[in-house]
Amino acid sequence: MSDIANEVRKQVREERSFTVGSVLKNRWFLHIVSVAVFFLIWDKVAIAKAFSSGLPRPYEVMQQLWLMMFDPLAGKTLFGHVWASTQRILIGFALASVIAVPLGLLMALNRYVNAVVKPIFDLLKPMPPIAWISIAILWFGIGETSKVFIIVLGTFVPCLLNAYNGVRLVEPELYDVVRMLGGNRRDEIIQVCFPAAFPAIFAGLQISLSIAWTCVLAAELVSARSGLGFIIILGMNLSRPAMIVGGMVIIAIVAWGMSQLVSGLERFVCPWKRQIDGR
Amino acid sequence: MKEESHASPSKIVCEDITKVFIQKGKQRVHVLDHISLDVKENEFVVILGPGQSGKSTLLRIIAGLETSTEGRVLIDGREVEGPGPDRGLVFQGYMLFAWKTVLGNVEMGPKLRGVPKKERREIAAHYIHLVGLDGFENHYPHQLSGGMKQRVGIARAYSNNPQVMLLDEPFGQLDAQTRYFMEKETARIWETEKRTILFVTNNIDEAIYLADRIVTLEGKLPGRMHVVYDVDLPRPREHTDMAFLKLRHEITEASALTL
Repeated sequence: MSDIANEVRKQVREERSFTVGSVLKNRWFLHIVSVAVFFLIWDKVAIAKAFSSGLPRPYEVMQQLWLMMFDPLAGKTLFGHVWASTQRILIGFALASVIAVPLGLLMALNRYVNAVVKPIFDLLKPMPPIAWISIAILWFGIGETSKVFIIVLGTFVPCLLNAYNGVRLVEPELYDVVRMLGGNRRDEIIQVCFPAAFPAIFAGLQISLSIAWTCVLAAELVSARSGLGFIIILGMNLSRPAMIVGGMVIIAIVAWGMSQLVSGLERFVCPWKRQIDGR
Repeated sequence: MKEESHASPSKIVCEDITKVFIQKGKQRVHVLDHISLDVKENEFVVILGPGQSGKSTLLRIIAGLETSTEGRVLIDGREVEGPGPDRGLVFQGYMLFAWKTVLGNVEMGPKLRGVPKKERREIAAHYIHLVGLDGFENHYPHQLSGGMKQRVGIARAYSNNPQVMLLDEPFGQLDAQTRYFMEKETARIWETEKRTILFVTNNIDEAIYLADRIVTLEGKLPGRMHVVYDVDLPRPREHTDMAFLKLRHEITEASALTL
């Protein structure tokens, strides 16, 4: 054992003393300073009325959000509106990923499926999902269906492409390994293809999630009686900037939370993946 | 695999192997030219040649991952018709399953052959111990150094208990010190669990250190057999031994190549 000790890369954690310099260079200290300065500048710009009365103070936004938590707007409190948007995303996102990921894998594994599906997919791929809103409303009315439809369209593309590329980019020699060890085509797919494609699939899910938010917002801005997009439009119609910015802040928080959930799921499914500290 | 009527006493027999690749645009690349080779049971044979001499292609043909244009390969007198667990292959780029732990990688061979879980755990533990990785069973490949990764590669290839081990420049990506150390380890592992080994390298010292017999290839395509050297130096060998250096000089001179 001592023989291979020199091969083991030890992770050495530096012991740092607590000095002024070490505090100033501390990551968390710099985070706090940068966020505090951001809010301070925002507040000063708002007080100076640089955008006339179009920019609310951070404090006013908080106040507005607090108010919306208890006073219903169009019959729903803030949580009701958050849930309305989230529900649309979850349904659309689930539908798209359940269809698109297996289809992408199948396209990568079978060239006949690929030859049939690829041209249609390539034809529809460059069309922005939001371009479908008008026709979706004509087809499905202004209810939930048209919103979910837009989200499915928008999230389908990255889900499929990432699953497809994840399989196509697998190191071919890994299949040789399975063959040499006595495996067959089925073993190649189960033992190599799928696990190797997992990280790419999750990257696709992450991209899809952010696209889903864009889609649900666009759909809600066009026509809705609930959701965070509705709050933003209402704020504009009532000339209440605090309501608009409040809606934007909540979207950011909820979207961040959902993306963390997907990351957590990825860490659970792919524990082998090196975690990259690139936030 | 077809049963041959005349059982050969040799473990690996290459009969007149010729390989021509046909690339896109119908360009023909002649890679191997009439290679004939006999490897006896438990013999350690090193194929020595510079880059682009066709030595890896020869190994892949013996592994069954490539087909030869002419000629055939016999293992225990039976013709090779594809890849299979009777031969263990160690790759230059390690080719570990990144999503499996050391244990998961090493037990993959028995798993694919349908060996029950308890039994294959024992097999894996045995070979992990053989390559000196006790205590690293639950590490993922990205947590290991290059030398340790290739130990996993060797243990994985051993795990199906193949009688023939094929190693394709296994230490080509390691730094000089680790490489030297892994050569010692390879000799130790081979002495502990004897197998018929065919080892491909471009490193002349590695060849002399490990081989019972060295087959040199000419340095250009198509790959042809050049000179065969019997290395009867006592083991363990020393790189600074006079006989070692003499043989080294001899091979360098004959190859007219800087290997």
